[in-house]
Amino acid sequence: MATQTATPTRAKQSLTVDEKIQKMRELYADAPEIGKAALENGLPQLTEALAAPSAQQTAGRIGLRQGKVSELCVFLPFVEGGAKRLRAFLQLLEGNFRAADAVGTVHDMRFVFVDNDTKLLFATAYDGDFDPYIEDFAAKIPNAMDLWLCNCEGYPGMRNPAAAADWIASHQIAAEAWYVNSPNLTGAETRRLEKVGKALDELLDKIGD
Amino acid sequence: MATQTPSATTPRGDAAVEPKIQTLRELYADAPQLGRDALEKAMPNLKRELAAGTGAQNAGRIGARQGKVSELTGIFPFATPAGANRLRVLLQFLDGNFKLADAVGTVHDMRFVFLDNDTKLLFCTAYDGEWDAYIDDFATKIPDALDLLFCDADGWPGIRNPKIKDWIVGHQIAAQAWYVGNPNLTVAETRRLAKVGKAVEELLDKIA
Repeated sequence: MATQTATPTRAKQSLTVDEKIQKMRELYADAPEIGKAALENGLPQLTEALAAPSAQQTAGRIGLRQGKVSELCVFLPFVEGGAKRLRAFLQLLEGNFRAADAVGTVHDMRFVFVDNDTKLLFATAYDGDFDPYIEDFAAKIPNAMDLWLCNCEGYPGMRNPAAAADWIASHQIAAEAWYVNSPNLTGAETRRLEKVGKALDELLDKIGD
Repeated sequence: MATQTPSATTPRGDAAVEPKIQTLRELYADAPQLGRDALEKAMPNLKRELAAGTGAQNAGRIGARQGKVSELTGIFPFATPAGANRLRVLLQFLDGNFKLADAVGTVHDMRFVFLDNDTKLLFCTAYDGEWDAYIDDFATKIPDALDLLFCDADGWPGIRNPKIKDWIVGHQIAAQAWYVGNPNLTVAETRRLAKVGKAVEELLDKIA
């Protein structure tokens, strides 16, 4: 699995919209027929998107960020017996990740077993930058992290947070593109808004009575 | 491939939790030392998690769901190196501007990751509701964008092709576990709440 140590630099941002469109036409000239047709049909929207200012930032050490929300995607090789152990553990948990609730900065996370159970794909959406995020996990839920990740090769343990962060970064592959629908809301802000919404509904109910 | 079946969401008693704890102890008996220690230290929290009702549902045809939010994870080989290059340049030019995903209105997040020396694309997304409805939505609302993005995946039949769903399922890997921080909010509800929050603040400002 290819690993990248840094977010790829965004190339050719100095081009004008017309130059970008021209480049797209050249690139898609030998694309499959479906792609060529899609380029022509989608040209008005594409032109608009290419004219928009950059909406992509980095999450610090590695990974992309959009607004307040970042992405982390790692492929971690399992130790012998590790895949079986983690699978059984996750099945027993049945989606109950109170430990992640306790961290409070996790928007979502998935555990996917790939390459015949030889690797774990872990992908998450989280608030802020890479290093504070890992430090947060190390401070708040070291045991839960150790229970998951002890099944992966070379894991140094969350009580060694600097080494754990290096280890994670070394297995991470930065996304080439990252989209977040509500990029200006952290997990905590969304939870607060949920309460505001509920309180407002109750208020309106009272006025309506 | 994980398969999930919906089940009761009521909390469980000690009688149901004990055998699970026993299973975990057996599983972690030959784990690395780090894991064995963690199991003992995490036991109080683990008991609470194992006693909770299930938090895992499925997204219909394939994939996991938690509350209102589902996951789709797919690994798609590129047909040619030129195809990988085409998509990379397109994504770099777009520079994070996915207004068409805004238009679909059910996408929480999505990422494009290039794997194995640019021979494969990993696509992961978090979205609202059920798998079939989600794919239908894309096909109806932004077919050209989908074809532009995925035409270089090996075997892509086209979003308008009736075979498209089977093709996606063939490349999707259901997550073994899936967590959502705010599982009860759809994209539309979150957007609405952001407006409500702003309006309430303005109201409070006026009162002050």
